[in-house]
Amino acid sequence: MLIQVAVIGLLTGGVYAVMVSGLTLIFGVMKIINIAHAAFMVLSAYLAYWLFSGLGIDPILSMIGIVPLFFFIGKVTQRRVLSPVGDDPGLLVLLTFALAITLEGVLGSISGSTFRTVRTGYTSSIIPVELSSDLTLRLPVVRLTGFVASFVVLGVLWLILNRSGLGRAIRATIQNAEAAQLVGVNIARVRSTTFGIGLASVAIGGALFSLIFSFNGSSHLDWISKMLAIIVLGGLGSLPGALIAALILGVAEAVSAVTMTSYISPIVFYLILFLTLVFRPQGLMGAKVREG
Amino acid sequence: MSRVGTFLKQYWMFVALGFLLVYPLIWRAPYYHVLGFNTLIVATAATGWNILGGYTGYKSLGHSTFFGINAYLVAITANELGWNPLWSAPLLALGVTVVALVLGWIMARAKGSAFVIATIAMLLIFRLLALNVKSVTGGAPGLSQPLAPWSPEYSRMPFYYYMLFWLVIALLVSAYIRRSRFGLGLLAIRDDEGKANMVGVNTTLSKVLAFGVSAYFIALGGGIWSYAQTHIAPIFAFSILNDVDTVLATMLGGLGTLWGPVLGAFILIPGSDYILFNFGASQFHLAVFGVLMVVIILFLPRGILPSLRDRLAARRETSSAFTGASTMEDLSDSQPRGEVPGREAPAP
Amino acid sequence: MLLQLQNVVAGYLKTVDVLQGLSLQVEEAEIVCLIGPNGAGKSTVLRTISGLLTPSKGSVVFDGQDISGVRPDLVLQHGVAHVPQGHSSFPEMSLLENLLMGAYTVSDKALVNRRLEAVYELFPWFRDRAKQRAGNLSGGQQKLLEIGRALMLEPRMMLLDEPSLGLDPKKSHTVFDTISRLRDETGITVLMVEQNARSGLGISDRGYVLELGRERLERSASELLDDPRVAQLYLGGGIDDTLQA
Repeated sequence: MLIQVAVIGLLTGGVYAVMVSGLTLIFGVMKIINIAHAAFMVLSAYLAYWLFSGLGIDPILSMIGIVPLFFFIGKVTQRRVLSPVGDDPGLLVLLTFALAITLEGVLGSISGSTFRTVRTGYTSSIIPVELSSDLTLRLPVVRLTGFVASFVVLGVLWLILNRSGLGRAIRATIQNAEAAQLVGVNIARVRSTTFGIGLASVAIGGALFSLIFSFNGSSHLDWISKMLAIIVLGGLGSLPGALIAALILGVAEAVSAVTMTSYISPIVFYLILFLTLVFRPQGLMGAKVREG
Repeated sequence: MSRVGTFLKQYWMFVALGFLLVYPLIWRAPYYHVLGFNTLIVATAATGWNILGGYTGYKSLGHSTFFGINAYLVAITANELGWNPLWSAPLLALGVTVVALVLGWIMARAKGSAFVIATIAMLLIFRLLALNVKSVTGGAPGLSQPLAPWSPEYSRMPFYYYMLFWLVIALLVSAYIRRSRFGLGLLAIRDDEGKANMVGVNTTLSKVLAFGVSAYFIALGGGIWSYAQTHIAPIFAFSILNDVDTVLATMLGGLGTLWGPVLGAFILIPGSDYILFNFGASQFHLAVFGVLMVVIILFLPRGILPSLRDRLAARRETSSAFTGASTMEDLSDSQPRGEVPGREAPAP
Repeated sequence: MLLQLQNVVAGYLKTVDVLQGLSLQVEEAEIVCLIGPNGAGKSTVLRTISGLLTPSKGSVVFDGQDISGVRPDLVLQHGVAHVPQGHSSFPEMSLLENLLMGAYTVSDKALVNRRLEAVYELFPWFRDRAKQRAGNLSGGQQKLLEIGRALMLEPRMMLLDEPSLGLDPKKSHTVFDTISRLRDETGITVLMVEQNARSGLGISDRGYVLELGRERLERSASELLDDPRVAQLYLGGGIDDTLQA
């Protein structure tokens, strides 16, 4: 039983990894905590939901349109809204927070407070995996899809970062923005592109999210705290750290939900976030992140 | 300048105070008293928040934690011990300040965005506790407490005047801090914490104290609000929207200025009430607030007061370009007598 | 004349100008050293030339072209490389990746490889440590790597900001030797800021003394080394050197 729960937690953790990958990448490059990240995810989930309920397009398929759209939105938002503000982290956090409540307000006005979720033909399908004669894992298809898709996304991100000129420029900017500028990296463009990639990845996260969870306009507040806990634990700005933290927290959450009083597990989440930020801002994985 | 203009310039504070004193007598409908009371709560909270967010540069998005804690403390002590909230609210707020000092001391280690997120996490933790420790807080439905003893026809009027009194106190404290050596240290921290440390400012102690003082005025408002509401629930007592009001008011009026937070609250709260009244849907209200916040940060990052002062100073500078008057001197001239100007006090 | 600054006014905040009408020039294949007290604006000069700062008044002319206020990546295209103060390598990248970052703006792979070979020629030990993480190199090695990275663009001029900062005497000696050797072998022009004025002037042809954002004195390096005022203020004390260490 516990193994079953843990495996489902692990699959969920994979989806978490996609949800937060853009957030940690954006922090790495810009030192901005994008509080609107979860709100953008919910926006993407709504788009997937509307496309599904209106036109019958499967969320996995609708990504083809949503992802480039989000990339574009991200690039423009960074250029026109974030970058003119300068680099006061407090002000930037407030600004992304303002974007988040704007999205919340708009989505709430359009769709009300009813919780939505995408119910496809395969939503309740389950694949049984027989490990031994007395242990059969039952894997929900949606979570498995999410998990696989997550690794595809993370793989693509990894390739972009490590095998492309843009990736080199992004990594250089993360490690030393001034030096990057001095070797000819146009860091203004790197920043806006990174923000675009960040939102594109959360657009994918949102489409997967719409298959697994139910949401309304206000859901982003619960999710941003969870996302922050993950990337803070993984070491702000570290993609591998975020992946490991996402898997760990996915499992921990699933297991604690069945073993503890229901409200303790979210409090533990926030406590971890709070204490890590205060006492170990470089994250629990020990990934070295320079000045942030 | 006209005579009226000169008079206003000299005595505007008394004019404003006089107006606030007669306001509930002129607009007698309960609606106006509630609106005035809410505005005063936010003005007081913003004045307090500004000591940390404006003077010190640490922008908290979780200070309504203290609003919520005191709201509950007041309700619980009123129910269990029969304490009168009018005196227990300011007193219990002192206790909440002690809690804030401890939390502030823990959080003084976090900087920049880490600090902001830690404050949000703090709020969410307390909200979850309020929702779930049902034996103390009554859980999601919340708590009720005795009604205020005065007759309903006075509605919120006594609360209004009581809150006005506390706003004056908050302003006096803020003005005093701004002028003091302690306040100078806070400004130094805002400008460059490392350097402030090097010139001998005890940055940790200063930050923790600023955290506590700002928490006091927010907690105070929470306590009085609790009494006025008679019924409180976690989603309203521990709401990040309370922080949004406070922060937005401060930024709108002028971050780090004495009067900015008050001015901001007096524009924001009636304004948002207008939107609520005319468009109803609270979600739309939220979107308007979000856009407003973006617009303020982008186009008026320093707020109304500093921008106005700059404009005034610039106009004078061009008219007195050849007399050699500097901007700073001009600014101080434009301050009415008796006001605490929004500029550095000389080091003692 | 390769580089000329005329009456440059620049600073970090709108209200405070660090440079207050500074002029200086550098000839082709010269090594010029800027010395002066902290806050005189030495680093600001370099940052203004490389485009990290935009001058509010005055002009920066490189090889006959006005480059005042041009973006850093475009200044680089003109052939001016800037090695900033402190650590500026990319610590999580390997030594080789750092060098390749130096040629980030070059898309011709064959050209990049040729330049890589040329840099290896100058610093043979780079080849042995190509895979090593830059952050694990010693301070002196990192400084040489940063210089090597700047050379990947075959710049005509190099701006060096405190190349000996934080290095022990032996290592800073190596760094200064390298700079001097580079000029002799490649004919590169160097404008350098150096707190350790004696060593800096030791390899320079000329020097400027900066004070309060202006040039106060311009002499040949040997004259500055012999000047009693300069000696008293910037060379003799050894206080500066102790502070450095």
